[in-house]
Amino acid sequence: MRFSSENIARNVFFLCTIAGAVVISSILLFMIALGLPLFKESSFFSVWTGPWDPYQGLYGILPMIIGTLWIALPATVLALPLSLGTAFVITILGGSRLRKILGVLVRFMTGIPTVVYGFVGIFLLVPLIREGFGGAGMCVLAASIVLAILISPTMILFFSDSLTSVNPVDVRAAKALGADRVQRLLYVILPKAFGGMTSGFILAMGRALGDTLIALMLAGNAIRAPRGVLEPARTLTAHIALVKAADFNSLEFRSIFACGIALYLFTTTAVVAVRFMDYKRSVVQ
Amino acid sequence: MRKTSVRVLVIFFAFCFSASPCFGEALDAFEGQKGTIKIAGGTAHIPVMKEAAKRIMTRYKGIVITVGGGGSGVGIKQVGEGLVDIGNSGRAPRPEEIEPYDLKMFKWAIDGVAVVVHPANPVKSLTKDRLKEIFSEKIDNWKTLGGADHAITVYTRDEASGTREVFWEKALDKDLISKKALFIPSNGAMKTAVANDPYAIGYVSVGHMDPSVAPVTLDGVTPTIETVANGQYKVSRGLYSNTRGEPKGLTKLFIDYLFTAEGQQIVVDNGFISVK
Amino acid sequence: MHAVAEKAVVVFSWAMTIVLCLCVSIFLGYLLIHGLPSLGRDLIFGAADPLRVLLGRARVFDGLFPAIMGTLFLVILSASLAVPVGVCSGIYLAEYAGAGMKKFSGLLFDILAGIPSIVIGLFGFSLAVFLHNHLDNRFGPCLLISSLSLAVLVLPYIVRSTQTSLEELPDGIRRTAIALGANKLQNIAYVLIPNALSGISSGIILAIGRCAEDTAVILLTGVVAVAGVPSSLLSQYEALPFYIYYISNQYTNPGELSGGYGACLILLGVCAFLFMSAYGVKKHLSHRTLYRA
Repeated sequence: MRFSSENIARNVFFLCTIAGAVVISSILLFMIALGLPLFKESSFFSVWTGPWDPYQGLYGILPMIIGTLWIALPATVLALPLSLGTAFVITILGGSRLRKILGVLVRFMTGIPTVVYGFVGIFLLVPLIREGFGGAGMCVLAASIVLAILISPTMILFFSDSLTSVNPVDVRAAKALGADRVQRLLYVILPKAFGGMTSGFILAMGRALGDTLIALMLAGNAIRAPRGVLEPARTLTAHIALVKAADFNSLEFRSIFACGIALYLFTTTAVVAVRFMDYKRSVVQ
Repeated sequence: MRKTSVRVLVIFFAFCFSASPCFGEALDAFEGQKGTIKIAGGTAHIPVMKEAAKRIMTRYKGIVITVGGGGSGVGIKQVGEGLVDIGNSGRAPRPEEIEPYDLKMFKWAIDGVAVVVHPANPVKSLTKDRLKEIFSEKIDNWKTLGGADHAITVYTRDEASGTREVFWEKALDKDLISKKALFIPSNGAMKTAVANDPYAIGYVSVGHMDPSVAPVTLDGVTPTIETVANGQYKVSRGLYSNTRGEPKGLTKLFIDYLFTAEGQQIVVDNGFISVK
Repeated sequence: MHAVAEKAVVVFSWAMTIVLCLCVSIFLGYLLIHGLPSLGRDLIFGAADPLRVLLGRARVFDGLFPAIMGTLFLVILSASLAVPVGVCSGIYLAEYAGAGMKKFSGLLFDILAGIPSIVIGLFGFSLAVFLHNHLDNRFGPCLLISSLSLAVLVLPYIVRSTQTSLEELPDGIRRTAIALGANKLQNIAYVLIPNALSGISSGIILAIGRCAEDTAVILLTGVVAVAGVPSSLLSQYEALPFYIYYISNQYTNPGELSGGYGACLILLGVCAFLFMSAYGVKKHLSHRTLYRA
């Protein structure tokens, strides 16, 4: 073992990497360690499938899981066409100047703080929905719309990335055969870029699932699972933010660790799925 | 134009305060002190806490006072666990909360919990039974009560809220609160939410009420400072500051300050009822 | 039939682009109309004298100054925690790690990047309580805990951007110094890092932007409504994004509300500037580094 600067540096670099890895694992371990008593005391099953009603001693997080899906899914469904269309214009349909401007706009959008989106949502969108559609205004719809705009830039950047990285040889071949821009896009580029775009879609959905502020500020946080887009809902993330409220040893408090675990699982599944797809694609090519 | 007049007012008051001897004296106790006081919990308390903190911190640079919210439940738990020095609550701590932590409570104001609606709402008087029906979703349209043909939006507070607990016990007689109700994290936020929603109904600390929301007369009694003070309006409660064990040092000085003439004046200025 | 579908795609794409642009312009226009009038000295310093405030002689109670300082401290602290660790592990992964290690840690950092920020906030909060109960009761949710959690939050950006910008360097650059007799560390320090600097720094700028705008993490780890300028690492603090959240649901008068709009504009300005300069520094910043829930 030589104590050269080379070795020391190498070890420092290595330790930093390990530190990062330890942090990630310890987050999960913390969640499980602190959530554990919940699984012991009430039955494991009822935490995930029961309602939330602390006054009756019920600490289920099912309404929040449903609420999360009710908000995140419409948001991704709304964001998909928006991003697809814009990505087409940025990569193929638009002129070079327009592409540049749109590119800057989309990058600018990634820099807009979430809480600012929420702030504008409360004062601009919520009253519109209340007067236009009835109900409280603070509802699934309000949160989904703002969330859709929030995640669009992520999706657009991923989409345009996949669309432009299709092998130019294929595109030129299609051009030589007389395919116009739209035909090239639809029949050559899109099928080849599909895999990469799916990754972008999944990651954007992960972002929608994991966002806290938009739902906390705009969805009303009612503890019943929503039955329509005009009803208020509470997401897992907002639930964590709201129930910080309690005693560290109470079941109520421990159940938010169940929320943490659920969110961790949701997003990790998304990441692993994307990795797996990327891997499969690289094997095929 | 309005700004200048506000400024003139501020200067005027600053002058008055600096001129009147009794206001200076109460703060003298903090002379030479250094350190931090962490306050959390009850959200009805926040305006008073903020004002007291502002006065102390303006005069003594070595003192830092942080004021957080969270609700009465949070205040009691956090002071018990030692995370904060003073935990506020809008209800008396329960015996099972006091005992494990040896909590000492200090009630420095009396407050009521009023039912509020948007000022434009014609429905400004309800019976208790009607109120229960609204909060349990049995009545879900203002039309039934003589208002606009629009769904009623019920706003409620989280489980940690002392305001919720007092309202639930004394106004709803522990009846159901709809699970569809929108959750609001504090008294300030409740007032803002109701002020912004023409179809809202909620409940808020009487001290927090202002013309942006309209109080609802309950069984013939309108919630105001006077009706709470003379006991006509039944949905009332004390505002407490709690410490773990007997308060010491800065914390004690702060609590003592709340009970001085100046402290109680802050209480009254913020719309609560003095305990003296 | 195909022709119709092709036309439809074109119309659809343009329509969607217009909708998106419209949303952004309405959003910005609304914010500017309401926020611009409030911008000014009073917004930041309130009634206090700016000079005295900056010298630490006066305190601000009705302005954004404590919140801005809180956010500044947060950003500096978390960057000084995350940047060294992140850059070092980026270097290790790019230059030293074997294929297996690369794959494994790549997955780990992807997962970390995907964890919702509120979960990291919850982690920070439990850590604070754990330290309070088992180490020293002066611990609690505070500036230090928030900075630590934010550092965890942005670590993946820095690792990723460092790693990819080093790996992207062409072999020509990579081998010259080695051929001239430099050892690996010299090569990294004097050749590779300077060449990858734009990518590394853009990652760091992005990370700073995220620290400045994140609300969910600090919500659980020590931000409060009133605290003044933080005096120690263990004190609670105010922050700009939390101020916006707080005002959005509990402003008491039009003045406070317009202060909220002003705060929105300031935060938006800072973050947009940071993000745009991150892109400016490095044109083809990988979008993967952007991904964050």
